[in-house]
Amino acid sequence: MRKARAGGDDEAVRQNGSSSRRRTDQHPGDGEDHDSSSGGVQDDDDDNDLGLRREIRSKYRDLINSVQQNREDMLSPSNNKLTEVLEEANKLFKDVRQAREAALDAQLLVVATDLGKEKASQLFSEGSAFDPSAFAEHLLSFMGLNRLEDEDDEPPNGCASDGYLPKDAWHRLARRAECCFRTAPSFHYMMGSFYTEPPPPKQRIERQRKAPSKEAKRIMPTQLKKMEESHQEATEKEVERILGYLKSYYQDDPSPISYYEFVIDPNSFSRTVENIFHTSFLIRDGLARLKLDSDKLPCIEPVEEEEVEAAGSFSRKQCIVSISPKIWRELIDVFEIKETIIQPPETQSE
Amino acid sequence: MTQRKRLSNVQSSSQSKRQSNSFMTQEEDEDATFTQPSTSQVQRGLEKLTAAQVDQKTAEVVQYILVKDQKKIPVRRADLVKHVIKDYRTVYPEIIKRAMLTFEQVFGLKLVEIDSKNHMYVLVNNLDASTARPSPVERPSNPKMGLLFVILSVIFMKGGVVRENLMWNTLKKLRVDPGQRHEEFGDVRKVITDEFVRQRYLEYVRVPHTEPVEYEFRWGQRSDMEVSKAQILEFMGQLLEQDPQSWTQQYREAHSTASSSQASSSNHR
Repeated sequence: MRKARAGGDDEAVRQNGSSSRRRTDQHPGDGEDHDSSSGGVQDDDDDNDLGLRREIRSKYRDLINSVQQNREDMLSPSNNKLTEVLEEANKLFKDVRQAREAALDAQLLVVATDLGKEKASQLFSEGSAFDPSAFAEHLLSFMGLNRLEDEDDEPPNGCASDGYLPKDAWHRLARRAECCFRTAPSFHYMMGSFYTEPPPPKQRIERQRKAPSKEAKRIMPTQLKKMEESHQEATEKEVERILGYLKSYYQDDPSPISYYEFVIDPNSFSRTVENIFHTSFLIRDGLARLKLDSDKLPCIEPVEEEEVEAAGSFSRKQCIVSISPKIWRELIDVFEIKETIIQPPETQSE
Repeated sequence: MTQRKRLSNVQSSSQSKRQSNSFMTQEEDEDATFTQPSTSQVQRGLEKLTAAQVDQKTAEVVQYILVKDQKKIPVRRADLVKHVIKDYRTVYPEIIKRAMLTFEQVFGLKLVEIDSKNHMYVLVNNLDASTARPSPVERPSNPKMGLLFVILSVIFMKGGVVRENLMWNTLKKLRVDPGQRHEEFGDVRKVITDEFVRQRYLEYVRVPHTEPVEYEFRWGQRSDMEVSKAQILEFMGQLLEQDPQSWTQQYREAHSTASSSQASSSNHR
């Protein structure tokens, strides 16, 4: 603060000095112009004139700035700075020729008037006037300002830099000022307050969204796998089961079994079809063979394990068995099939 | 007529309810433009609720306001309704009435509506300043109150309005520069022009027709409620070693407002 103000003062001083110098420099020339022809000033020496205009404007701006920056000082009743500024402006106004300069002069007048108004309001206030600087001074003393050796008598500049405030200065003032406030003591939780953190709700939303998608992903492939596995396994198991029946039947009676007696389930046409289907795997894998007996009826027998490999070299023949409910019924009658050799799988009986 | 009938219907309910009824009619007049429930609506609402429910809601309101008061930012009625009152908005006047009673009787505080247009509430200490002064507990003082005191004092002593330049210059003399970080207050300009303003201690408004733009400070609504001009003047007299009465204008103002606020507080007690 002090720097700023000091700077401003310096500027003002410099300004004053320079302006007075200029004036002495220029006055003779100006005077001549006035004497010869008052109207043709601008035309006579344009260069010099342009410079002069610029200078006048810049001086006006400096003046306005200094008034605005030092407003508070100018307001204090103890000095005459406002008058000084107005006198300065009057000097400048002598050289004003153009509208731009006049506008700046008017602007300065506005600022000065505002200041004047405020100064006047100070006079109107009843009783003692209130001086904020004095207030600040006394507050500093109250807050325990420790003034250092070179204590300036000049109040504004001196006190702004010298001395230092103790650490609890503001606490001290606050404690004394407390009685002016009827502030409700704010209440606080002894264990600190519950802190409502924004993240948790976000996480909750994420969790809710993720959970179902994961399950869905997991369910889909397992379902597919199960279907495939169960299908394959079921066929393989069924084929093995049928081979078991064929072998046990062959052990009991080691002669070729009539194919139809073996395959037909007299109680179920669909079971019969399934049996035919599964038995065909036995033939394909060479675990059983079909041949025609003396009556040219097909009969089936298991292939011994040693023979299985040898059988691989034989050329295979394919034949298609067709069956319909009608043929199935006829076959049951002809072969007098009462019972099925291949029992339905346990899963079904269960 | 109809009101009396209804009243007799709910005579079983507590006495305070009937008392509040007379108060509510007053409130309603000021509040006509807002969607505040009418007295009859409140009565009907209360009939649907048990005494325990109303007490519970009142307790929630009290707690909400206490917690909100930690930051000293006024509580807006709209927020109160939205976050706490919720489905009880039909009996809002009754609940706020009871909350006010609780603050006065239990906490020694006063719930004041500082802004009848936007419906803002602040809590003010309702105990006598003179009895409250020798605090039995060594409370940690808030240095910001010192800063606020300086600002309010300058405004008051300068007749109610102060240009910001004067304020900053005065504060600079106290080693508080709005352009620099203060070790106690941090960003001083923000504390003064934002925090104090939001707390309604100060008003910081643009002066019309100024070039460059200038602002001025005034007392905020909370300060009017909370701060004693007489006490400021007394402290001022001590500081400047002057008789407080020598500031005739300020003295008159301080003691006219002080007496009125004292009268109102004694009425409540």
